[in-house]
Amino acid sequence: MTRKSRMIFAAAIGAAMLIGGASVAFAIQDTSASLRASGEAGEQADGYLGIVGSGSAALRAQVDAVNIQRRAYYTDLAAKRGARIEEVAATTACELLRSKVGAGQYYRLPGDVWRRRAAGAAIPLPGYCG
Amino acid sequence: MMRTILTQGLFLSAAFSLAGCVQVAAPDKPIEINLNINIKQEVVVRLQQDVRNLIENNPGVF
Repeated sequence: MTRKSRMIFAAAIGAAMLIGGASVAFAIQDTSASLRASGEAGEQADGYLGIVGSGSAALRAQVDAVNIQRRAYYTDLAAKRGARIEEVAATTACELLRSKVGAGQYYRLPGDVWRRRAAGAAIPLPGYCG
Repeated sequence: MMRTILTQGLFLSAAFSLAGCVQVAAPDKPIEINLNINIKQEVVVRLQQDVRNLIENNPGVF
């Protein structure tokens, strides 16, 4: 192997790693958004994603993975602000219901069933959301 | 005599096995899961900005 071919080889490996890393980052980046967009999962007023239908094992695994991360963030913020985890989670849900659930996507309010957000209409938020 | 007992036994076991069946009727309305949320509005207001930052900084999770 000449010096030049070694350099090309190293550059190729570097490029492959970059592309691979970027696609992994992208996959993580849009997990919640794509789960909501699939119509198989929706946002709940308790601050976690829920499965709308029966849900495949793969879907459940994805939703669980997101919810575990959410729980960790809620726990962390609750400790920092002297609040309960449920309070941080419910506050987050208010924001997610307000800004992240798109038209045609699913959400579930306390004591209610899954509903789809109508096009051009805001979700009727629980009173505590302010 | 033996035959009567046998027949009765069969009936009895049939009755028991039927009783053991769990009757599953299709629900006539969607399943409702109560998400019990106990929070005051002032707490929501206090946490709101932190929560907005949290969502913004973690787009995959939220």
